[in-house]
Parts: sequence; C-alpha cells; structure tokens
Amino acid sequence: MERKSLIKIKPKKYKNGDVVKINFMVMHPMETGLRKDKKTGKIVPAQYINNVKFEYNGKVITTINVWESLSANPVFTIYMKIDGPGELKVTFTENTGEVNETSTKIKPKG
Amino acid sequence: MKTGIKIALSLALLSSLSFGGEQFAMSDSDRAMYAEMLENNPADIMVANGEQLLGNLGGEAAFAKYLGVSEDKLPEYIAGFPRYIEKFKMVVGIDQVLQAMMHDAGEKPFKLKSSDMFDMLAYTKSLANGVKSNIDIDANQHMKDAYALGQKTFDTKRGGRGLSCLSCHAPAVIGSVLRTQPLPDLSSKGVAVAATWPAYRMTKSSLRTLQRRFQGCMKNALLKVIPIGSPEMVALEVYLTKQAEGTEIAIPGLKR
Amino acid sequence: MQRREFFKKLGSAAAITAVIPMMSFAADAKKQAGPNEFSYEKALDVITGGKGAKASPKVSLKAPAIAENGAVVPITVEVESPMTESDYVKAIHIFATKNSNSRSASVHLTPANGKAIFAARIKLGSTQDVIALAEMSDGTFLTATQSVKVTIGGCG
Ligand code: HEC
Repeated sequence: MERKSLIKIKPKKYKNGDVVKINFMVMHPMETGLRKDKKTGKIVPAQYINNVKFEYNGKVITTINVWESLSANPVFTIYMKIDGPGELKVTFTENTGEVNETSTKIKPKG
Repeated sequence: MKTGIKIALSLALLSSLSFGGEQFAMSDSDRAMYAEMLENNPADIMVANGEQLLGNLGGEAAFAKYLGVSEDKLPEYIAGFPRYIEKFKMVVGIDQVLQAMMHDAGEKPFKLKSSDMFDMLAYTKSLANGVKSNIDIDANQHMKDAYALGQKTFDTKRGGRGLSCLSCHAPAVIGSVLRTQPLPDLSSKGVAVAATWPAYRMTKSSLRTLQRRFQGCMKNALLKVIPIGSPEMVALEVYLTKQAEGTEIAIPGLKR
Repeated sequence: MQRREFFKKLGSAAAITAVIPMMSFAADAKKQAGPNEFSYEKALDVITGGKGAKASPKVSLKAPAIAENGAVVPITVEVESPMTESDYVKAIHIFATKNSNSRSASVHLTPANGKAIFAARIKLGSTQDVIALAEMSDGTFLTATQSVKVTIGGCG
C-alpha cells in the first residue's frame, strides 16, 4: 500500500555548510497488535514502520530502527549538514516487509 | 478550589468535574512543547492531499472562478465562511461549495464526512492562513438567521442529561476540568477556536473539521448527533466563527 | 439535478455515513499491563554490551511532565557533541520503560547530521519514565531520564 509522506526542511532557504532541520512525516496507523477493533472485536494485527533510512546524494546519513510505540502518523526530526545540491531520499520499511520511499531536492543558495 | 459555579450542571456531570489548581494541570513549558508540535503537524500531509484533490478540480483558480471572486481576493473571501451564496440560496460552508463544484464538474462529490473532503476543506481554508476571520453576520437576513439559529443550537439544553453546549463552554466554567480536560470557553467574543479548525486530533490520529468536532461533543454529552452540513451545524459554525472574528486563521490546528 | 435538491440529498446522505473508527488508547493501556516483552534493563544490557550507562548533563531529554494524552507524547533529545569524524554521537536510543516493548526508536547518526538532535512522538500506555541513551563514538554511554504522567479522559 502506498503511504502518503512528506519531507519538510527548515529553514526553507539554506546554503552550503548550514545545518538544517529535516522533518519527515508519514501517514501510518502504527498498529501495536494490542488494539481491538471496536466493531468486530478482533485484534488488529501489528503493522508498523520498523525502519527509516535517510540518504543524501546516495550516502546514508541516518537510519532509525522503529518499534510499535511510535505514535500514529509518525513524525521524525533529524538534522543534516548541507553539502552541495542533490537529493534527500527517505526509505521506510514496515514490519510486513513492505517498502516505500520518498525524496526531495536539496537546493542550497550561495 | 473554585466555588460558586454559576451554571446548573447535572449531578452526573458535576461528579466528574474538578476545579482549578488540580493535580493534572499542565505547566507552561509542557504547553510550549505541544505548541512547538504545530511546526510538524501530521495534518500537513492531509493538507497536501487536499491540495492535490483541489488541484484535480483546477485548483484555487477554479475555486475562485466558481465563487466569482478574483484570485487575489480569494483568501479574504475564504476567511468569511460560512457565507450565504446566492446561487445556492443558502448559508454554506466551504465543504459544501466544494461539493457543488465537484457536482458541476460532472464528478461524484466527496461525502461531507469523508476524509478526502476534510483534507480538501482544510487545504482550501488554509489559503486564508494569516488572514483575519471576517464573517459578516449582518450581510443579509440569511446570515442573521443562521447566527440566531447557531446561538439557539448552542444554548438549547437537550439529550439525556439536559446539557447544552453552553453548559460546558461558558465563561463561567473556565478553570473547571472534565475528566482531566480543561473546559474551553466558546461563547465569548475573541475565542479563536473556529480559526484553528480543521485540526489534527492527536487522540483520533486524524484530521477533523469543526463540525466533526461538534459531533464529538454531542456524542459524549449524549445529545443527538446532528449531521454535518445540516442547517443547524452550519449555523453552529457561523456562531463560533463570529466569536473568532478578527483572529488570524491558522490551519491546520493541533488538538489533544 | 437542481442544486437545491442536490443539497437536500447531501444532507440526508451525510447522516448515514459510517462513523470513523476511533483509536481507543485507554483500552490499550489496560492490555499493556502485562510483563515487559523487552524490558529496559535487558535492552540496555544488550546495547551497551553489559557496560551500562551513566546519567549525564550532556544528554538533554525534553518530554512533557504531564502528557495531554498518551497517544501522542512529544519527545526531543539533544546530545552535546561537535559531530566530527573523531567525536560524534553514534546513536540515540529512546525507551519507554513501562511499555510492553520498552524500545521506541534507535537513531543511528553520522557526522553528516551536523547536530545530534532527534525528535518524535511516542505512545505511552501509562505514567512512566522515558529514557534517552546516547552512544558516543568513544564507546561510552550516557543517559537522561524524564518521568511523564499520562492523563486519560476528556470529551469527544
Ligand atoms: C459535557 C460537557 C460538554 C458539552 C455539553 C459540550 N462540550 Fe464541547 N468540549 C468539552 C470538552 C471537555 C472539550 C475539550 C476536550 C478536549 O480537549 O478533548 C470540548 C471541546 C470542544 C471544541 C474544541 C475546542 C477547541 O479548543 O478547539 C468545540 C468546538 C466544542 N467543544 C463544541 C461544542 C459544541 C458545539 C457543543 C454543543 C453541541 C459542545 N461542545 C458540548 C465538553 C463539552
């Protein structure tokens, strides 16, 4: 299933050498496997993101192992040093083995 | 302990209320942490989805054209909803205009209660971010009537516990707490609440609209739930939006 | 279809749309009361290779002392470090000590991060300690702890 996700960079304008804030958010229920469906009374199977990988121009800068206790529609904030134009790619994997990715252009000014 | 609560609350409710300075009061720094979360509101994704959905209909240009306003006046115009729209002959919310627009474009309109409509409504209202809420309840008789109906719906006691919205949302209850949640005053001038919905509800993990929020309160207070888009619901929105007049629109909000 | 009729139809249609399923975190909290599947102590032992960790002012953990709701508790960890090739924070681990699985996230950093800061939102089933464990490039482990009181209740 395709997950809606978003990468936000703060501040919006930055230059080489700046350390910027990267916010990555994804629409995901982060089911713990402990919750019962209110209507059917059945346990909702665990389904959560278990890994998030940040790659900047092909180089892995951060990986996050994630467990089911992160909130639904999780938001991850890390920092990153701007080192030339290119692309920031985020790949996220679920406990079911499903993989999705999203990316954004890095465009330093000056 | 705060004494002399001015309104009559049923015993069942009163027993679950506790007053000022109680053990669960949050500190200012805690509140600041939650305020900071606005910067990373998960609802940003839903708003982005709404942008795409409106884009499929021709985007804000098409929306402005549909309403017969110029694109640069659109934010101001949006900040005045709900409005009486001549071609519909009724007071409507932004979501209803979007429905009609979809209908006229030959598409199947999203249900008012669907998450796609919530997303599209949120995006459309966010076009007015930073603009002061400018509803004009004296614009015509329809708006006057809607405001009056809204106030009546807000003040009328109904349901099994004989509660009205006002029972829980009057200035007199400020400082009191219901099951650990402070009761927000919604009936005074300058209450910005309407300018902060649609909002992400953390306890529901989803984007909700103002009218959907009303329904939540109705359900919890055992008042019969009124459908979204019905005259009473739009009127309630008119009533609360009037209290928010002059406060800046900031969508999406972030709520407990 | 006339517009007015169209709106009338919409009004009635709105009434029968399905109720959006609600997250019942309060119910979760009760179920999570069992023994930890992955206790903090055990996890700490594995991560530090039995070395353990010591509390340090270099690690700052921000979390609300009182959480508005257990479903979304904001946390921010900042570790003092120059983040250079020779001296950086290798990882930040987050634990919720009383959740059935105490592990929330392990963030593996590199000098390319520039700053050792991580923020996220976690679910807490009950009042408990949240712990941030920083793994430094020199092999030492530093921690910070914050107790978070979880309140459940409210309307709608
Ligand atoms: C039994 C008390 C009670 C009644 C009756 C009640 N509410 Fe509420 N309402 C609350 C509480 C408590 C909250 C805040 C709870 C929270 O944070 O979850 C709230 C929150 C709200 C909010 C969100 C405020 C914000 O900060 O954004 C709106 C809007 C609202 N109520 C509207 C209404 C309307 C309209 C009615 C009448 C149909 C109503 N309420 C009836 C208790 C009540």
